[in-house]
This record gives sequence, structure tokens and C-alpha cells, in this order.
Amino acid sequence: MLTTKINKPYKKWLIVIFVVLLAGGAVIWWLFNLRYEDTADVKADYTVNAIEFIQEFKQDMVAANKKYSERIIVVSGTVSAIEAADTTANIKMIDSSSAYIIFAFQQQHLNEAKQLKVGDRVSIKGSCSNGAFSNILETEYISFKRCAVNK
Amino acid sequence: MKKTILSLALVLATGLLFAQKKTTTSAIVSFDATTSLDKLPKADNKTVIAALDTKTGKLAFEATVKSFTFSNPKIQEHFNAANWMDSEKFPTTSFAGMITNLKDVKFNKDGVYKVTVKGDLTVHGITKPVETTGTVIVSGTSIKTESNFSIKLEDYGVSGPAIGAGKVSKEPMITVTAEF
Repeated sequence: MLTTKINKPYKKWLIVIFVVLLAGGAVIWWLFNLRYEDTADVKADYTVNAIEFIQEFKQDMVAANKKYSERIIVVSGTVSAIEAADTTANIKMIDSSSAYIIFAFQQQHLNEAKQLKVGDRVSIKGSCSNGAFSNILETEYISFKRCAVNK
Repeated sequence: MKKTILSLALVLATGLLFAQKKTTTSAIVSFDATTSLDKLPKADNKTVIAALDTKTGKLAFEATVKSFTFSNPKIQEHFNAANWMDSEKFPTTSFAGMITNLKDVKFNKDGVYKVTVKGDLTVHGITKPVETTGTVIVSGTSIKTESNFSIKLEDYGVSGPAIGAGKVSKEPMITVTAEF
């Protein structure tokens, strides 16, 4: 009888500690296993034309970065160049002044990039990193990551 | 006649100049700050701009910080945050330097050449001199450069509790690859 009286409060605390540890563990597991969604399944924030998009960055880089950086954007245009990058390929859309947009593809969409050819009209969906001026190339450029061909 | 010869010479000289400076917009910079406690802080950026002047040995890179891609969105968020790389304030990292033993590299002959590179690396708005070794691989018309080196994050003003707790390496390994 005495034993039951002493153990009861401990039991309560043990259950509370166990629940807190379990919840904490679940949160840590969730954070560690968090992955980016497939870009193909993500709703786009903007749909733009490649040449007009480049023009917007050339006119006001700061404002364009504020508007588009880390947003999901569908860019429609013509493939101007395909560059090998490790085991994959980056797709480029270039304007008449050599300013360009470059698209690096998401792991599950790497083959889509390899199948494109220079001159193809295409819509590409991806996360806009940002635009900048290259001191090496002396031109503006806009980088995209986690891209997929927009179907 | 003189004018024509002069124009031709100018066109030829310009052509040669361009032939010496090779560029790519798909160089790769990988960053590995994993530790035994955390395997997540590693990323790569496959849209890095690089230039190599085969005549002078000048080598340069420019990378957009936000283009470093992590598998985990939370880690990517931390990487770009104000107390880490602060990519809003410092959107790019860059390197400008030289191959110091250029005479050992024959760009017109296939082979694997060991090189030493010296230059200035700018990360998080702080520029520091770096010296490292690398490889130049010449194969036909292709020139590939590779280098591995580590940097001390504190040298570039990057700190945070995750580094102190041993979840992020204090000296991440950087791998740079460019094919021209």
C-alpha cells in the first residue's frame, strides 16, 4: 500500500518525460528527414517570358531580386546552350546582349535536361536563386536551381 | 591596302586573345562541412562562372551563394541566414588568382598536370589570400581543372552555435571543378 503511494507521482513524471522525449525525437527526425518537394508538383509563383525576365533584371537588379529570389517560376523561352555539369547538363537561355538565365535541374529531372536540344522551345519551372552581374563575363545572369521541364 | 592588313591583323589578334581566355558558366563548387554528428551540411553549386587564361595562367570563379543546393531545406535556410553566409548582403563568393607554375602545363598536349594556384578568395564579404594545389587535365580541346582545399570559417567571419556544437565542420572541404 505504501509502495503504491510513493510510486504514483514518479509514474506521472516518467510518463511526462517519455512523452516529451518522444515528441522531441519526432521533431528532430522530421527536421533531419525534411526534403524539397518535387518542383514539378509545386505551384509556380510567376510565369514569365525569358527575354522579358532578363530585361527586368537588367533594368533593376535589386527590385527583381526582391520579387523573384527563392520563388518558384516558370520561364518560357528558347534553349540557347546546353552545358555539361558533372553527370548532368545545365540549360541556358541567352539574350542578344549575352545576358543569360541558367537552369540547374533537380535530381529526379536530370534526364529531361539531357533530352533538350539547342533551339527547342521549352518551359522550365524552378527556384530562382537570384540575378547578379558577372565581373568575369561582364554581363547579367540569373541562376535557377531544382528545375524541371514544365509539362 | 595598309588599312586592310591592319584590320586583318586586328581581327587575328582579337581571335587569339579570345582563344586564350576560356570560360564556362557550369563550373561546380562543392562544400562539405559534415561531421560525425551531422551528415547534412553539404551542398553543391553547378552554375558557377569560371575563367582560365591559358597564356597568363589567370584563374577566376564567381558563385551565387543562393545556388548552393542542399538536400534539406532547413539546412539551406540556415546556410543563407544572416548569421551564416548572409546571402542577402553577400550574394556571391569569388576567387581571383593565378596558376603559379604555368610553364609546367602544356595546354596543347594531352596530359594530367599538377599545378599550384595562388589568389584571393572572397567569402561572406571577406577576402583572404589562399594557396592550394590542383590538377589540369588536357584532353583534345577540353581543359578540366580540379582542386580540393579547406577554409577556416572563422577567417571569413562565419560562426554560429552549430559550429561550436560540432554539427558543422570548422574547416569545410571545398572542391572546385571546371571544364573549359
